[in-house]
Amino acid sequence: MEAFLQPGFWVFVLALAGMYGIFSLGLQIQYGVGGIMNFGHVGMMAVSGYTIAVLVITYQWSFWWAALVGVILAALLGALLGLTTLRLSGDYFAIASIAFAEIVRYWILNTDSVTGGTQGSLAIPSPNGFGGYTDQPDVILNWISDRLYPIIGEEASRDLSMVLVVWPFFLLFIWISSRLQKTSWARVLRATREDDDVPRSLGKNVFRFRLQTLIIGSVFGGIAGVFWALQFALLAPEDFLRIVTFYGWMILILAGSTRVKGLFVAAIFFGFLYGATRFLEFWPLSLLSSPERAYLRVFLIGFVIVLLMVKRPQGLFGKRQEMVLE
Amino acid sequence: MSDFIQYFFNGLVVGCIFAIAAVGISLLYSVLRLVNFAAGDFLTLGAFITYFLSVTLELNFLLSVLVSMIAGMAISWFLELVLWRNLRRNKAGTLALFLVATGVALMLRPLIQFLFGTETRKFNIDILKTYDFFGARIPQTQLLVLIFASASILTIALFIAKARIGKDMRAYANNPGLASVSGINVDRVVIATWLISGALGSLAGVFQGLVQGQFNNAMGESLLLSFFAAVVLGTIGDAYGALAGGLLLGLIMELSQLGIFFGGVPSNYKPVVAFATLVLVLLFKPEGIFGYRARKV
Repeated sequence: MEAFLQPGFWVFVLALAGMYGIFSLGLQIQYGVGGIMNFGHVGMMAVSGYTIAVLVITYQWSFWWAALVGVILAALLGALLGLTTLRLSGDYFAIASIAFAEIVRYWILNTDSVTGGTQGSLAIPSPNGFGGYTDQPDVILNWISDRLYPIIGEEASRDLSMVLVVWPFFLLFIWISSRLQKTSWARVLRATREDDDVPRSLGKNVFRFRLQTLIIGSVFGGIAGVFWALQFALLAPEDFLRIVTFYGWMILILAGSTRVKGLFVAAIFFGFLYGATRFLEFWPLSLLSSPERAYLRVFLIGFVIVLLMVKRPQGLFGKRQEMVLE
Repeated sequence: MSDFIQYFFNGLVVGCIFAIAAVGISLLYSVLRLVNFAAGDFLTLGAFITYFLSVTLELNFLLSVLVSMIAGMAISWFLELVLWRNLRRNKAGTLALFLVATGVALMLRPLIQFLFGTETRKFNIDILKTYDFFGARIPQTQLLVLIFASASILTIALFIAKARIGKDMRAYANNPGLASVSGINVDRVVIATWLISGALGSLAGVFQGLVQGQFNNAMGESLLLSFFAAVVLGTIGDAYGALAGGLLLGLIMELSQLGIFFGGVPSNYKPVVAFATLVLVLLFKPEGIFGYRARKV
């Protein structure tokens, strides 16, 4: 029970919630506004994370430029995914998007000379033999914790600095996205979600609107990847398994797919679920070893998804009437 | 030449397994409009139950396979009763069906790990004995898998074509409204579809376990997208198409390693060949090899 009461635990929960909240926001724009079922979202996160690691470690770029290029590449991957497969109907697109993300992961896994392969970012070739890529942002994170140290003492951790960096972005993005969803652009998209023919008859290029949505969502996926890479300071191919996309979906359906503001509550719930199955030490959790806890986490996430879809498909904060008609 | 025979044989074996798994997925889609994301984990479950019965409890191998098929059917039936039926009643949309199927997969995988552990397993069947066939190495287990799997495929095809319930399934898939007014018992069709897909999942899992020689709990999950590729290749919802698509995909994946194709695809990229096939078919012929462009895509 002690870990539960420790601030460090909650700080970790919040850091995760911020990152995955931004990740999920991408899905929210794609599905909640555009009706696009993207099940390969994790690919965007992988691309931006790995771009940073490779550019900083091998090519000695500055972290900031690398992060910018990473997000741009994630957006380009979204564009590529959209240009090739977005004309497919919903269920076909969903399957194609999974295949896309898996191709990205296999490429990372098998291109050892660039990405370090199974050994992850530590094995990325480096001219000075050092596999870290967070030096520059760490200066800022340390600066923040140095300022906090006199006030809160030992609780001033790197995770706390991360929370203070990620959450303003998360809240800003939620605000931007909720503004975006009141524009005429979003109204057209919402119309395409129900029926293609009406907006088309008004001269709207439905495909272009969908493509824009997919790319904007991918940008959020890419930004989430930047924070992910920063938080863990280490990347490996198995961090970007299919299931990560479903972390995002769980947050989204928990919040209700049309409710932007529910996202941060749902994201904190996810962070708690993730952190609790990892760190909490009270009975009955204390009976499980750490790999067993990893299964428990996957099981619980599956269970929450199934339970929500059966009992409350509109999410905790959604209205049933606003559900997408399919 | 011996390379070609080797890859062709491997492709047939893998293709038969894909075919068996794919036909279950395709039948479910045609009857329920459900993309079964949990199909891969049913394979794993089948292989592990068979392992538990035949190796741990030292039962007869064929009996163990039979019991694991029955277990696959029972679990599928149970899920239909507690889950899928309610979702249909609530008129759940595509996303809900997708996510619930994924949720089931996410729950099944830890359960398998919890019950059977994470160690790599192998059946106690001699996997070392091989035959020489024009310079190609043909392991005995693979030959047996090929024989039994082809027999299973023929049985499935005959069953769908001739058996009463098979005909009902095709009729219902074609036109649910018309099928139910003409007196077809819808619940029976749905349950039969689940039972068939459950049994085939376990069977394909055992075959895959035998072909791999050893397997762990990630076996089925890693094959899932290849199965989808087979289903889409053979026209989604078309049972015979899935059988053909499975065989074809198996051959494509293995033959792509031949030197004549850009020096051959490295074997660790085999899954990528399947994913790429999936994306390419969706792009250029989304109706599959047997389909006609009836639906807007």
